[in-house]
Amino acid sequence: MFWLVTAFLLVLPFVYESRNLMILLTQIFIFSVFAMSYDLLLGFTGIVSFGHAMFFGIGAYSIGIFMKRFEPTMVHFLLALVATLVLTAAISFIVGLLTLRLKSHFYAMLTLSLSGLFLVLAEKWRSLTYGNDGFTFRIPEPFIDRTHYYLLCLAVMAAAFMLLKRFTNSPLGRVLQAIRENEQRTESLGFQVLHYKIAASVVSGVLAGMAGILYAMSLRFVNTSVFSMDITLDALLMTIIGGVGTLYGAMIGAGLIEFAHDWLTELAKEHAIFERWIIFFGIIYILVVMFFPKGIVGTLRNVSFRRKKPEPAKKAEKLAG
Amino acid sequence: MDLFFNLTLNGLATGMLIFLLAAGLTLIFGLMDVLNFAHGGLFAWGAYSGLWVYSQTGSFLIGIAGAILTGFLLGIITEKWIIKPVYGNHVQQILITLGLMLVLSEMLKVVWGPNQLTANPPDYLVGAWEVGDVIIIKYRVFIIFVGLLIFGGVQYLLKKTKIGLVVRAGVMNKEMVQALGINIQKVFMFVFMIGSGMAALGGVLLGPYSGVIHAGMGMEFAILAFIVVVIGGMGNFKGSILAAILVGLSGSFMAYYVPDLSLAVNMLLMAVVLLVRPQGLFGAKG
Amino acid sequence: MSDLLTLNGVETHIGQYHILQGISLEVKQGEVTVLLGRNGAGKTTTLRTIMGFSPATKGSVMFKGDTIHTLPTYTIAKRGIGYVPEDQGIFAGLTVEENMKVAIQKDNEETAKRMNWILELFPDLKKFWKKPGGLLSGGQKQMLAIARAYINENELLLIDEPSKGLAPIVVEKVMESIMQMKEQTTIVLVEQNFMMASTIGDRFYIIDDGRTVSHGSMQELKQDEEKKRKYLGIA
Repeated sequence: MFWLVTAFLLVLPFVYESRNLMILLTQIFIFSVFAMSYDLLLGFTGIVSFGHAMFFGIGAYSIGIFMKRFEPTMVHFLLALVATLVLTAAISFIVGLLTLRLKSHFYAMLTLSLSGLFLVLAEKWRSLTYGNDGFTFRIPEPFIDRTHYYLLCLAVMAAAFMLLKRFTNSPLGRVLQAIRENEQRTESLGFQVLHYKIAASVVSGVLAGMAGILYAMSLRFVNTSVFSMDITLDALLMTIIGGVGTLYGAMIGAGLIEFAHDWLTELAKEHAIFERWIIFFGIIYILVVMFFPKGIVGTLRNVSFRRKKPEPAKKAEKLAG
Repeated sequence: MDLFFNLTLNGLATGMLIFLLAAGLTLIFGLMDVLNFAHGGLFAWGAYSGLWVYSQTGSFLIGIAGAILTGFLLGIITEKWIIKPVYGNHVQQILITLGLMLVLSEMLKVVWGPNQLTANPPDYLVGAWEVGDVIIIKYRVFIIFVGLLIFGGVQYLLKKTKIGLVVRAGVMNKEMVQALGINIQKVFMFVFMIGSGMAALGGVLLGPYSGVIHAGMGMEFAILAFIVVVIGGMGNFKGSILAAILVGLSGSFMAYYVPDLSLAVNMLLMAVVLLVRPQGLFGAKG
Repeated sequence: MSDLLTLNGVETHIGQYHILQGISLEVKQGEVTVLLGRNGAGKTTTLRTIMGFSPATKGSVMFKGDTIHTLPTYTIAKRGIGYVPEDQGIFAGLTVEENMKVAIQKDNEETAKRMNWILELFPDLKKFWKKPGGLLSGGQKQMLAIARAYINENELLLIDEPSKGLAPIVVEKVMESIMQMKEQTTIVLVEQNFMMASTIGDRFYIIDDGRTVSHGSMQELKQDEEKKRKYLGIA
């Protein structure tokens, strides 16, 4: 199924020419990567981060600064990639080390506050970031063509999906899911729960940084909004509405939210109420958390699963915790 | 001397506002194990609704009452419809309260528009007293006064009344409280209401202090409140006022001497506390 | 004598575990009914099910003729059931006085009378009246827990392993208090200490693997070596 859709998306730009659609799809691919990185934390390990924008923003600013300060060449692109890798890995490691041994509230709180700190940093460190207004930059030659860039983002999304699929199916990933189900039992089985959680935190952070790079390059512009709460909320909405712990859900969620965003922005030109479109998503999100904690994908799976073999409903609800 | 005094006063006033927000957070957390990420939204709603009532009636005090009432109402609604259905599931709670935060802040923009509003203190709180060469801004003193009053009031409630006793018992052992014939749900609702009312009060007091209010201020202050809750110890009411004053003062002095680092210092403080004393600087309870 | 409490085919699930798989018992007014059985057999869960902490998923719990297994814990408690949990459930940060205050439902003459009885029987509580409950010794905590359950005019007390971890001399004190309370109320006691169980118990139920497998009068059990060996591991 996944490959079918990927193949379809692969040939799409060659058969149907629409610049707007292509740009929108590129955004969806990028946010799919971002949402999947979030899903690894929330869905597969049961960690709630409220500062995922921080990693996204680090990626976006790294590439922006390298492209602006130096020549937009492949070498500098790679350097930005390495810088993002090192920074996101280091920060997610430290945050994980500090809070993952405590209750889940702490990780959420610390990431929330830290990303607030990065937002302030981006605003105040004007010599490097040009403050609130941000800056435009040029990108290396190979990335300029929109179709090429579209294909690149599609490839990254597919790669990230395969990587995470592998990762979550690996012994390490199984331990992560065991932690989500029952942390104490996993601990008592002799697993160093903290190490595994930190590993998940680092992989997720790095991947989110990569998404940030792609995002900034697609806009050729970066400003403080990449650190804003909205970015984190996007990831949350996409993962929750799509369905946690499935990876597919993250991608479907990304598609839905981006499409809806695009569509509602159009509508807002006619009806002012749609300017506050986030309210609808907020309400849907609350309802999903309350009544369909497994999201679209999880709920569909449950339904089809139940048809084949009746399963106590209670168990499915428990999994969501 | 003048500068030092003013920075201190400023820090204390800010600390009191953060305290009003953090106190509810920490009480609710201590009793219900719920970290309410929508708490900042209640703060912002207090600011807007209070300012609105103030502008309609012309009385600042009625405005404050209006804000507190709004806080009570929103608190009851939140507890009943948002928190209760997912009670006991931490991840779901965290997620759902954040969703509520989102809706609350956006709703503010729907009702009062997306632009920031200006707020001024009432005439009798405008200006300053001059004592020797020290200038004391009245409104700041007013905030400190209200903050201490609320602290004293809640402290009295906790220590001297039956409901306060039940709340303290509930923090230690929820099950046993119920086994003694007490409806803990009602106690939850009560604490949530008080906490929300305090947050809303903090919000309405902030308006004339900073001069403007905007929908994003809920989140800004919520972050400070989280830092305070961690430093003071989650569930520790007395710790929350001490930590709030600490954060307020450090913010005020840092903002004067090295403005860019003020938030960073508080963050650093929180990181250190998380690392060495996750139960908080004050008291032993975790 | 009529039945004060009846459990009929009670089953309880905790999470995905099927803990109680068929508990049926009758508690007669004015008697001490002892629940016996191995560790993990479901004795504590039975008490917790009666209190409504882990509500029954099947079967029924009747108290004074009313169905109570659908009620929330606090209502069950208010109907006249006092509970002394295995870990005593003392509010560690509250003083002994405050612990008692949380428990008191009515401020009347009867309460004052009971308070006098408590302080007479447990002079230690009086001594540490203003001290935090967390600073008490294990035995004193047990006394406080019993006092808290007894202060209200409860018709039924559920007491979970009161002798656990206590020195023999303290066990005697606790036993004495239960013997005295027996005059006033009906008691369901979970107890591993067979000496204590057989001294104060009138009637027994043996629970094994979440089911009531045997019951009768304590007198019978004392003589039934076979049963004692099979279910209780007592030679």
